Amino acid sequence: MIFALELKKLRRTGFAPIFLGGGMLASAVPLINMAVRTETFTGLSGDPFSILMDENWGLMAQLTILLVVCGCCLIYHTEYADRGALKMNTLPVRQTSLFCGKFGVTLLFALLALALQTASLAFSGIHWFSDRSLNLRGLLQSMGFEIIMLLPTLTLMLFAASLFQSMWLSLGAGVILTFLGSMIQESHLILSLIPFAAPYRMLHAVSPEDIRTCILICIVQTMVFGMMEIIYLRIRRIFT
Amino acid sequence: MNIIETKQLTKTYGDFTAVSDMNLHIPKGRIYGFLGPNGAGKSTTMKMFLGLTSPTSGYFIIDGRTLSSGRIPTLKKIGSLIEAPAFYGNLTGEENLDIIRRILGLPRSSIDEVLELVGLTKHRKRQVKKYSLGMKQRLGLAGAFIGKPPILILDEPTNGLDPVGIHEIRSLIRSLPKQYDCTVLVSSHLLSEMELLADDVGILNHGRLLFEGTMEALKDYAFHAGYPTDNLEETFLAMIQTDNAVRKRGDFK
Repeated sequence: MIFALELKKLRRTGFAPIFLGGGMLASAVPLINMAVRTETFTGLSGDPFSILMDENWGLMAQLTILLVVCGCCLIYHTEYADRGALKMNTLPVRQTSLFCGKFGVTLLFALLALALQTASLAFSGIHWFSDRSLNLRGLLQSMGFEIIMLLPTLTLMLFAASLFQSMWLSLGAGVILTFLGSMIQESHLILSLIPFAAPYRMLHAVSPEDIRTCILICIVQTMVFGMMEIIYLRIRRIFT
Repeated sequence: MNIIETKQLTKTYGDFTAVSDMNLHIPKGRIYGFLGPNGAGKSTTMKMFLGLTSPTSGYFIIDGRTLSSGRIPTLKKIGSLIEAPAFYGNLTGEENLDIIRRILGLPRSSIDEVLELVGLTKHRKRQVKKYSLGMKQRLGLAGAFIGKPPILILDEPTNGLDPVGIHEIRSLIRSLPKQYDCTVLVSSHLLSEMELLADDVGILNHGRLLFEGTMEALKDYAFHAGYPTDNLEETFLAMIQTDNAVRKRGDFK
């Protein structure tokens, strides 16, 4: 029920069009790149999807992170703009459930954006690398990995957005963190798994023995940020 | 029987005391008027009842329960309108009420009923951000009434309404205890309104409860204390001025 409520609250906010438009924009990256530099990429040897990911994922991941930042800011702006959050706090509903509902909705739309990007990568592979064998299962696994890598960023950003009643503060922080995240080198495993940096990691570029560690670290981070929100919801009554 | 009671309820923000050692007794099935100038602590007290802010010390009991023993069961019994109406401006009036209805687990017909009650049926499909201030206030009241709760906490419910609207809402609030067997805690700084609305009053100044009792008891108290008794406004102003003078002299800390 909470999930449906959170979805309903987002009517006429532009939340769905933002994710759809952002997802389409990120999906356009490999298509445009392949269309204008076909020979550069088709001349490379190796797995087509690894080539496509290596050449496009940096920008696609950055757009996806920005999309999540905007989504999280918008979802809480809707709560704070006309004090809807205050009404919710006076109703017999757990505030942690509302946070979980928002997490679910943002994740669903992020999945939609990632699905569009997966489709775009698959199309690019089929269209421009038709002469090679394509590992579509590998692509799906890769995108599944990206979803998990995105979770800490999504949870942290949702937590940050819940802290500030002014959307500009959380949006500003999110944009700065997005660019900072892109600067972190992938050479250091732990450092490259912090929020805003983890989504840049690609499954094929991670050594098989590190995959489990990456997934575990991201899930733990997601839980930690979720716990931080629960603690914040409990203590804020003391100070308000 | 008191449905809400507070014991030494205190709320401080740093060195500012918003509510000081308050002992309130709100009888069941009556309209209790919370009277005080701006910043007297009315809204803070109401916010504590709703769990929006925690008391610094002291406690309160609502229908036999403390809030710490279960926030959700207590909130199920309370309908509220705090400070200004809170809503989602991007949604229509009907959609806003539907969110509350779903949380409270009420039938769909409850929306039609409450919209009719506050006179918003015609505007149900309009986005709330396009509502006038009076319409937003009515929607806020609808959100508070929709579950027909046994306790209603209304913070200045007639703010922004025109005289006709004030009269309508006042009549509505007056009819509630008999109609739905509920208790109403209503705050205002409009004394004339309180005189027409409340059965009991609590007068606050600087977070301190100066008087609590029925309207008749207030007149009696004012007479014996040497305050003017011609109308509530004069009584109230004299009480507040005396209290302020005492505070200024430092007799009261």
